[in-house]
Amino acid sequence: MVQCWRARTLLFFASAFPLLSAAQQSFENSGIVRTVDLGGSLVHVTTTYAAKALQDNADSYTIAVPNDDLLKTSFLEVKVKGQPKPLVVSYGGASDAGAHLLNAALTKALPVNGTVNIVVESIQIHATRPWPERAAQDESQALKYDTQLFVLSPYKTLIQRTKLKSTNPSIISYTTPEKVEEFTTENPVSKSGATVTYGPYNNVPESSSLDFVSKHQQPVSINYAYDFPVIEVTKMSRTAEVSHWGDNLNIQDDIVLHNAGPKLKGHFSRFMFQTQAYFNRPAPHILPALTVHLPAGIRNTYYYDLNGNVSTSRLRTAPSTPRLGSKAQAQYSVLELKPRFPLMGGWNYSYTLGWDAPLSDSASYDAISGTYTVEIPTMTEIAGSVVDDAELKIILPEGATDVEYALPFPAISSELTTHVTYLDTIGRPAIILKYKNLTHKHIKPIFVSYKVPLAVHFRKPVAVATVLLGLFGFTLVARRIDLTIHKKKA
Amino acid sequence: MSRAYPLPTNLSSSTVTNTASLVRIVALGLISGAAIASRLFAVINFESIIHEFDPWFNYRATRVLAAKGFYEFWNWFDPTAWYPLGRVVGGTVYPGLMATSGVIYNVLHALNLPVDIRNICVLLAPGFSALTAWATYMFTTEMKDSSAGLLAAAFIGIVPGYISRSVAGSYDNEAIAIFLLMFTFYLWIKALKLGSALYGTLAAIFYFYMVAAWGGYAFITNMIPVHALVLMLMGRYSTRLYVGYCSWYAIGTLASMQVPFVGFQPVRTSEHMGALGVFGLLQLVAFAQLIRSHLSSKQFQNLLAIAVVSIGVLGALGFVFLTYKGWIAPWTGRFYSLWDTGYAKKYIPIIASVSEHQPTAWPSFFMDLQSLVFIFPAGVILCFRQLRDEHVFVIIYAVVASYFAGVMVRLMLTLTPVVCVASAIAFSTLLDTYIDPTEPEVPEEGKENADGKAKETGGSAALAAVSDIVAATTTEAAAGSSKTKTAPKPKVKGIWGLDTRFLVVVNAIGMLCFFVMHCTWVTSNAYSSPSVVLASQNPDGSQHIIDDFREAYYWLRQNTPQDAVVMSWWDYGYQIAGMADRPTLVDNNTWNNTHIATVGKAMSSPEEVAYPILRKHDVDYVLVIFGGLLGYSGDDINKFLWMVRIAQGVWPDEIQEPNYFTPQGEYRVDERASPAMRNSLMYKMSYHRFSELFGGGQAVDRVRQQNMPKQGPTLDYLDEAFTSENWIVRIYQVRDEDVLGRDLKSANAFTAGKKRKRTKPASRRRAIQQ
Repeated sequence: MVQCWRARTLLFFASAFPLLSAAQQSFENSGIVRTVDLGGSLVHVTTTYAAKALQDNADSYTIAVPNDDLLKTSFLEVKVKGQPKPLVVSYGGASDAGAHLLNAALTKALPVNGTVNIVVESIQIHATRPWPERAAQDESQALKYDTQLFVLSPYKTLIQRTKLKSTNPSIISYTTPEKVEEFTTENPVSKSGATVTYGPYNNVPESSSLDFVSKHQQPVSINYAYDFPVIEVTKMSRTAEVSHWGDNLNIQDDIVLHNAGPKLKGHFSRFMFQTQAYFNRPAPHILPALTVHLPAGIRNTYYYDLNGNVSTSRLRTAPSTPRLGSKAQAQYSVLELKPRFPLMGGWNYSYTLGWDAPLSDSASYDAISGTYTVEIPTMTEIAGSVVDDAELKIILPEGATDVEYALPFPAISSELTTHVTYLDTIGRPAIILKYKNLTHKHIKPIFVSYKVPLAVHFRKPVAVATVLLGLFGFTLVARRIDLTIHKKKA
Repeated sequence: MSRAYPLPTNLSSSTVTNTASLVRIVALGLISGAAIASRLFAVINFESIIHEFDPWFNYRATRVLAAKGFYEFWNWFDPTAWYPLGRVVGGTVYPGLMATSGVIYNVLHALNLPVDIRNICVLLAPGFSALTAWATYMFTTEMKDSSAGLLAAAFIGIVPGYISRSVAGSYDNEAIAIFLLMFTFYLWIKALKLGSALYGTLAAIFYFYMVAAWGGYAFITNMIPVHALVLMLMGRYSTRLYVGYCSWYAIGTLASMQVPFVGFQPVRTSEHMGALGVFGLLQLVAFAQLIRSHLSSKQFQNLLAIAVVSIGVLGALGFVFLTYKGWIAPWTGRFYSLWDTGYAKKYIPIIASVSEHQPTAWPSFFMDLQSLVFIFPAGVILCFRQLRDEHVFVIIYAVVASYFAGVMVRLMLTLTPVVCVASAIAFSTLLDTYIDPTEPEVPEEGKENADGKAKETGGSAALAAVSDIVAATTTEAAAGSSKTKTAPKPKVKGIWGLDTRFLVVVNAIGMLCFFVMHCTWVTSNAYSSPSVVLASQNPDGSQHIIDDFREAYYWLRQNTPQDAVVMSWWDYGYQIAGMADRPTLVDNNTWNNTHIATVGKAMSSPEEVAYPILRKHDVDYVLVIFGGLLGYSGDDINKFLWMVRIAQGVWPDEIQEPNYFTPQGEYRVDERASPAMRNSLMYKMSYHRFSELFGGGQAVDRVRQQNMPKQGPTLDYLDEAFTSENWIVRIYQVRDEDVLGRDLKSANAFTAGKKRKRTKPASRRRAIQQ
């Protein structure tokens, strides 16, 4: 499994390492099918390679990813079809055509003519753009997606095709490829319903070579109607604060939302918006409300922005279920979150959402080692959105020692600092993690373990009591000192 | 000695003192708690939010102070206010309030209590109201005793007249100023009583704090000199007065001049001349006293006569000369409006347009003070009984503040403390009299012992307090001066039995209970609305929040360029600056009448006239408040006449108020509205597309209860940019000039496919031929 949200770092490696000749022609692709689920901010690309080993003991299959795709890719996973566990992938340098080669280690080596189906699942972000770029309040929304015609592979391919799937059958235009007679005699592209299929193209040679790319590769684009608003979270910072005294896990998200759909042409008319709502014909690019799934058993949920409390949301809480360790499917609370104003294309909205949850739902205590383990999710999903910049701050109880944490995927930067809050004397250890380009695939728990000595629990009451006692003592003495210069005669 | 009910006799006096002291502390604690709690209605019913208009500026300034420190705040130039003029904030505010919050903020953060600055601002006023209760307790204790003090503290803690200005979120100068007012007065009384320079200096320090906090400090500046003057006229000059007044005046005046906004005013403006004059007079009197002790009385008489005449003439001439030369500023408009309530309406409409500057309506006295308003005179009269120096102060304060409270609604606030003090004196006298178990002894024929006589005077005074106060004051005074000579056969006065006592005390307690109920009701219903957020009820009775203001301001903040200039009527200037963070043309610091009149002119002119004004001021967005859909009566159409009046004051040729009325003299917005009204920018922006909302039905303006015409107004120079959910806030974007150089009206007509009228070019041609 490779997390490619650090594509730039990866590129650096690509230029640093000399080319590796990975293409040993140990495999042949009997078929490649690429399925692109067109969306708004996120585009799912699933590529299935049906491979046949040409050599004995073939244990490494190489996948080629074009540079453009790699820059857009936020998540990439390679699996053998039918197996749940992803394969281990190593970077194999760049091909002469600029494609990046990834070597997937197969779990067991194949004999000659042995076959394997390899599924590469990836999520591309910011891969679509609104086209037309501006839309009036009562107009529909259309997006454009660009990709390359052929799936690249260091191996020969007998047959390959690309399917572009939209959610709406109204596909406004798509590119018809030229000069592909070499690979197909039939129509090079066909549309049925909401799906546009390029191919099948037969007998494609090693397509990751410079020769093939310069000769045959060509861009294709599709312009399709999209019925949902395109949401981006430009910035998200999550603060999770653990309190053993209150048996509480407080999570607070500061979120900046952006509607990345077509920019509003003309102006927002409340009258038209109310008419659309009245006749139940909302425009697809308007975001009037969001539905967010929060953990079960939460309390004291708050939703405010820079101008104070927002009173337009509704919350349905589910009862709490201890989840750590148990495999039972957890319930969730549903928050219908309504921004102060409907988000038209190009508009922004920032808000803060926070809640308290019972700590026992996400923490466990190991009595033998005296270690607490807390599970903190990286983020809360906003359906169909991408998080451009994320910062996580996990605040542990004051005096926690032996802090260790396990990340589901590496962070861009991580540091251990001290956070000082209410009546702290030495401050609390805090972990700050920074991420970029997160999607729903990255919602995974971060595990933090630490020890809290018993004496530390009493630090705060003792500190407060000492100060108060000091004050009382001072008053006691001060009231009994007579500072008058001239003593009054009785 | 007979008693109406038995008292325990086996208590030592130290037990009684200690218990009383404990009870006092507990009572004061509870009063503080009640004072704070009753101000939290706004937070509980709504949220922790800054209220109204001015507090938004104070909050914004405090945030600057908390984020950047005192020095930056001091030098803060705000380029976004009064665009394009800007505002030197550090030199044009009373910084006491912000400094107080800033100090609290820094102290709490130093103690690792990271309280949000907003919560400090919201809860500052309730916190200081507890301190006010304490200061009033101290003040009243000086007047009578600590039981009157406790009553006064309880009164000031919950009286609506003070709560109206100090609920949680009402983050205004008055929030801390009333505490400072009462505490300065207390220290002054202390200084006067003890002749103590220490207390005089303390009074000066708190006076300085008051000067830094509120423009109403002039009330102290004049109250203390008037008190001193009256004492001198009553022949009560003493060295105590001299020490107290001089230490207060000298230090207080020098200190107050350190506030940049005040500067040299204490020696240059008329409002401060009284204090200076009394200071000079005191020196003369003191000097005269000194000379008198060294001269014979005949010489002294002559000297005095000459000195008084010459100094009086010289002083008056000097004052006239200084005023004439402009060294002393003439009286300001706000000052005149204190004496002539019609003055502001005639000459300074901008002052008159503020609702809190209107004369007080009678019901609001009852609303704000309830039963205290008729107990208060009794307390003032009771002050005449002993008429010590401090009682004179209460009497003067009562008279002066009563007058001012009648002139201006907002000055109700300065009346409230003295009402509480005087009512507490009256109430506690009443309770003292009726709870006291001592019964007068029935005098035996011809035989009176001294003991009985003493009791009798006490009893007579007690009865007098309720039955015939004025008569009693004279008899008491007479009885006090010559006990044995008068009253050859005195009538026995007093209270016998429990029933009378019971009746009066229960009645009094009943009144207090009604007072508490009234205060709670008024506070929760009338004074706890943030006015930024409106509340209504859903059909099922749950609360429905109408949040249009914040919705629109937040839209401005998030979806317009940072430097987009917003024009609105000045009422909303501070809110836009605070919540939308955008430059505004005018705001609630109404220092530049011309600038406000410019906005008024733009609002009340037709589009063609308004457009150049908007362009010249770089206006990008125009914001209006429209309540016609929801029935929100505080909207801009209802304020429109003030805009017209203020604009008329500067451009009387272009804007005339009568043009906005129908020929019958009615203020209408429907089909019969006058042409000037219908063409005005304000009218057009308010009703743009309003009638379409009714889908062919009859459009009704729910504020003015008038049927709107089917064909609504059209806009050529502005575009509707945003309208809030209930249409309360409407924001329009000012269009750029036409690229082809046409005026926007004809450009729009061209786009709409309308034929250009042929008449205009024809006439122009003819003009050339001639």
